[in-house]
Parts: sequence; structure tokens; C-alpha cells
Amino acid sequence: MTPKQWERLKNVFQDALEQPAPARRAFIAERCADDVIVLREAEALLATHETAGTFLDEPARVDPADLETLVPGTVIGSYKVLDEIGRGGMGVVYLAEDTRLGRRVALKSLPSTLAMHPDMRQRLRREARAAATISHPAVAVVYALEEMGDHLFIASEFVHGETLREEIGRGPIAPERARAIALAIAGALAAAHEAGVIHRDLKPENVLIKPDGGVKVVDFGIAQIEGPEATRLTRAGSMLGTPAYMAPEQLLGQTVDGRADIYAWGIVFSEMLSGMHPLQRGPHGASLRRGVEGRGRTNDVHLTGPFATVIARCLHGDPASRYPNAKELISELESGLRPSLASGSGPSLGTGLGPDPGSVRSRFWWEFHEALTALVYSAMVVPAWYTRGQIGGWQGRTFFIALVATVVVATTARLHLWFTSRFYPRELEWVHQRSSRWIRIADWLFAATLIAGGILIGDEHSPLAIVLPSVAVGAVVAFLLIEPVTTRDAFKRSGIETSAV
Amino acid sequence: MPLVYDELRRIAAGYVRGERPGQTIQATALVNEAFVRLAGERARQFNGRTHFLAIAALSMRQILVQRARSRNAIKRGGGPQRVTLDDINVANVEAGFSRPELAPGDVDILALDEALSRLAALDAELAKVVELRYFGGLTVEEVADVMGTSPATVKRQWALARAWLKRAIEGGVTDTTAEPS
Repeated sequence: MTPKQWERLKNVFQDALEQPAPARRAFIAERCADDVIVLREAEALLATHETAGTFLDEPARVDPADLETLVPGTVIGSYKVLDEIGRGGMGVVYLAEDTRLGRRVALKSLPSTLAMHPDMRQRLRREARAAATISHPAVAVVYALEEMGDHLFIASEFVHGETLREEIGRGPIAPERARAIALAIAGALAAAHEAGVIHRDLKPENVLIKPDGGVKVVDFGIAQIEGPEATRLTRAGSMLGTPAYMAPEQLLGQTVDGRADIYAWGIVFSEMLSGMHPLQRGPHGASLRRGVEGRGRTNDVHLTGPFATVIARCLHGDPASRYPNAKELISELESGLRPSLASGSGPSLGTGLGPDPGSVRSRFWWEFHEALTALVYSAMVVPAWYTRGQIGGWQGRTFFIALVATVVVATTARLHLWFTSRFYPRELEWVHQRSSRWIRIADWLFAATLIAGGILIGDEHSPLAIVLPSVAVGAVVAFLLIEPVTTRDAFKRSGIETSAV
Repeated sequence: MPLVYDELRRIAAGYVRGERPGQTIQATALVNEAFVRLAGERARQFNGRTHFLAIAALSMRQILVQRARSRNAIKRGGGPQRVTLDDINVANVEAGFSRPELAPGDVDILALDEALSRLAALDAELAKVVELRYFGGLTVEEVADVMGTSPATVKRQWALARAWLKRAIEGGVTDTTAEPS
């Protein structure tokens, strides 16, 4: 249709409407007899007009919440909005370009209802400042908290990828991969907790999986603004936070620390493995009730499958019974479990948490060595006492004191290792790393003191002059040759590279 | 533009605080309130009320279209990537799904927007009338003011535009009208 035809159509149609209804068709036919295109179009429009009813009569209605939307192209401060990429009761997330630095950011706009509240703003500022200090590859970097008039935005690293929720949606994740993701999340939590930031709303939606498999946890500490106050300030009825992942103490509004994140981590981990939320098979409300009622006991949670023990401990209603921190989670996943997974003990790793038999056996010999060494060292105090008498004078006293000192250091440290290995195996690597150097120094001093003692006696007929250097040589052989073997065997299985004690 | 937009947002925030969630308000009410608020202190920055109304209508159109787009995106399961919110969860998304988006008498905003763009290519003035009346909630008289025409003209234009859009949305226009033949 040419512009001319359109003009004609317009006039014909509008004139026709001024005719009485029954006469309109004839009017159009008469006016457009020479142009069949205009005629047909005018007839069609008239037919539509007559059946249009109330079409468009009512002006558009708008949900006020929709007005919090920024349309693409909007410039906010130095950010140019490119697209909307997420939305929920707590705000809208946009993909935006930071025009100052020429990089893409995720710009999270917080509801103006929150932004207008001074206390809330203060809290947000604090939280954003803390979140910005977290440095970990699995934590999406918080760049800035932007305050523009009544608007509050959090600019953070834009992560290209899909959410863990989407991945879980396709079914359970293989144990080895789930473990890797869980480890990355635990690493992120550990870094955050160290920076004093509690996530408070860890869930599969807040874990992004990049195309290269990298894991990023987003929205650290933003849930801080939740709470009774925030609930009142934001729209009633919209669900704040995610009860299904909240620890009981969090649901009850009590003080929350990093162990609430541990709880959420357990749920997420379990959900990855089974494809299902561990506490619920139904609607969210059910889990909420159960979570609160199940406070202090976990017997109503029936977990099976890999890592069941780890998860069960995370889901404990009482925070004190959970892992005390995220580092523990990491060492738990990194230690006992790898051998059992590698040896392919299958999907039923319900008991997979204990150390595997191989490592128990090898650690026994290491423990035996440590205990025996401590015993022999201590026993040397007796001959040393006699040696002191034979040497006599200040030299004798110095010898005795030096020997007792080295014995005390070497045996105390060894017994501590032995004790740790028996009763706090998870802390062993840490203790071992810290004490091995001192033990080694004490060992050398011990041997050196014994040899010095043997020389100082000066009486080649005294049995002590033979015994002391012999024990010294024996000790050196033991800590140079034997101990490294048992130590290596005991520690390599937990994947820790250590220099032998 | 940013000023009007901000004002609309601010008013909306007031509504969000005070009213039940999900309750919609008519564009007319919103735009008028924005004008009343702005008129007091900043009216001089606008080329009078008409200029304001035109901008407000355009803002409303953009907002509604953007919102409809993102709703659709969520329904399709998202674009190539998604950044999550702290509180998007299954329940929320499901609630979003179950909300009847096209109650009787409601209009598919995206289809309307698209048809309106086509109409604008054909006749910008007609499209503008629709934008003002439907998205801005303006009365016939206000539209006439903005357009610098008479209410009678607006009524005539409105009738034609409305019929044309309805046909376009229902798929009857593409071949006969939009293409020059």
C-alpha cells in the first residue's frame, strides 16, 4: 500500500464511521470502487472495528513493582544498562557496562523501599565493604556499592554461566563432580568467613557454573539486609531468603554465624548428589516446618549415598554439632574420601567418611614409631643422670640440662602428634606441619648432646661412654631413615605432601 | 526523560510499600500523580504539561514492554546466561507462571508493541495517539493537547488505529497493508 493509498484509506474509514452503522459498508464500496486494495482493507478494518469490543479502551495497567525496572539503554551513573538478567523480590539484576572501565558488570538494583531506609543503607554499606574484601577464585567479586539518589546498586563481577540450579535440574550430579563443586563452594565460604562475611543465603541459584567448569558463588552477604526489618520494608508476601536452605537458628531469627552457611552447604551438596532437596519431597513450606522442628536432632533426616556422614553433620540442628568452619569441610572432603572414591567403592559410600583401611594400617606404624621414639628418648634421662655424675662439675650439669631439654621438646611434640592422630585425626596434618621442624631440630640436638656426653665422660671403660653415642647414632638412623618411611606412608594417602619428620 | 522516569519509579515504590503486591494500577493514575508531584517544583523544566505527558507515556510503554519481555524470558527458561538473585526460587518462579497474564480484556503487550511499531512506520501520528492514550492513560482531550489537534480528530484517529492494531495483532494485516503493493 502506497502512502497515497494509506491516506485514502484513512479518510474513507474515518468518514465511514460518521455514517450510520448500516450504511457504512455501502459508503466504503462507493468511495473505493476504483481501488480494490483500499476497498478490501477498509472493509476489513470496518469489520474489525465492529467486533473490537473494548479493545484498548482501558489504559494499560501496571504493577508498580514493574516500574523499578530499568530499560536497556538507561544510564545510571557510569553504568549503562544492557539487559535484564534476573529478578526477584529483592531487586533486579542487570547486565550493565561500566563506562569508566569499559567492563561488563552485574548491576543489582535493590528495592527502593530498602534503599530509602537509612539503617538498611548503613548495613548494606558495611556488608558491601566486607564483601569487597573477599578474594577467592570462587567468589564473584563485588566492585562497588553505588548510591544514586534513592537508588542503590551493587556492581559485581559479571559471571557468564548457568546456575547450579539448572545443572541439578537435569538430574543428580556425579559424586566426583559434585564433590569438586562442593569443595569450590566450601573454599569460597572459608574465604568469606575469614573476611567476616556470612553468605546467609547459599543455594543452587547462587552458585554459577562457568562454561569452563569454574564455580562462582554470588551474592555474598546481600541477604544480610533480610530480617524482620527488611521483611516489613519489602513487599509483604514475597518470599525473602530461601527457607529451604536456612539453618534452624536462622529460621528462628537467632544470631547466625558461618555455621549457618555450613548447613546450607550440606543441603546444596546433598541436592547435587541426589537431585533432590534432602529435607523435603514436597513444597517449600514443609521443609521450613521440618527444619525448625528438627532443631537439635537429625534423626528425621535419612541420608544415604556418598558423603552421607559429611552431609548429616552439616545438617545438624545444633550449630555446635556441625563442622565448626568451612576449612573443616575442605579437609574432610580432601582427606578420607579420595581413596574410597578412587578405589571405586561405588555409590554406596555411606560409611565413606572414616579413613580407609590402608591408611589406618600405615598410620599405625607411624604412630608406633612416634610413641616408641618418645619412650626411648625419655628413658635416656636415667643414664644421663649417671653420666652427669661421672662428668661432674658445671659440664655435667650442662650436659644433663641440655639432654633433658631436648628430650622434653622431642617427646612432647611426638606425643602430641600421636595423641592428635588418635583423637583428632582431622587436625593431624595441620599439627604435623607445624611441629615437624621443631621435632627435627630437637632430634639433632638430642643426638649431639648424647655424643658430647659420651666424649665428656673421658673414661673409655665406662659403659655409658659407649651407650650414649650408640643411642645417638641409633636415633639419627631412626629419624633419618625409618621415620620418613612411616611418615610418608601415613600422610601420602591423605594427599598431603609433607617432608618427613 | 530521566526525571520523569525517576518520578514514576518513586511513586511506584510508594505503591509497592502501601498496597498489596501484585495489585496493578492504571497508567492514568500513575502518570497524573507523577505530574502533580513534578509540577510543583520542576514544571518549568518541562515544556508544559503536554511535553511531560508525552514523555511519561513513552516511559510507561518502555517499562511495560521490558517487563513483559523479561517475564517471557523467564518462561522460556532464560537466555544464554542468568545471574541469580538472592531470592528467586522455585516457588517464586512458579508463582510467576501461574499468574494469569492475559485476563479477559488484557492485551499482549509485546504483540501490541510490535504492531504499534509497524503502525508507526505507516503513520507515526496514529501510533503516537495510541501510545498516549493506552500507555500514558491520557484522555482524548489531553491527547489532542499533546498532538496539537482537536478531540474530534483524536477520536477518528483512535478508531482507525485501534482497528488496525487489532487486525495486526490477530495476523490480518501483514500482507495487505504493511507491504507496499
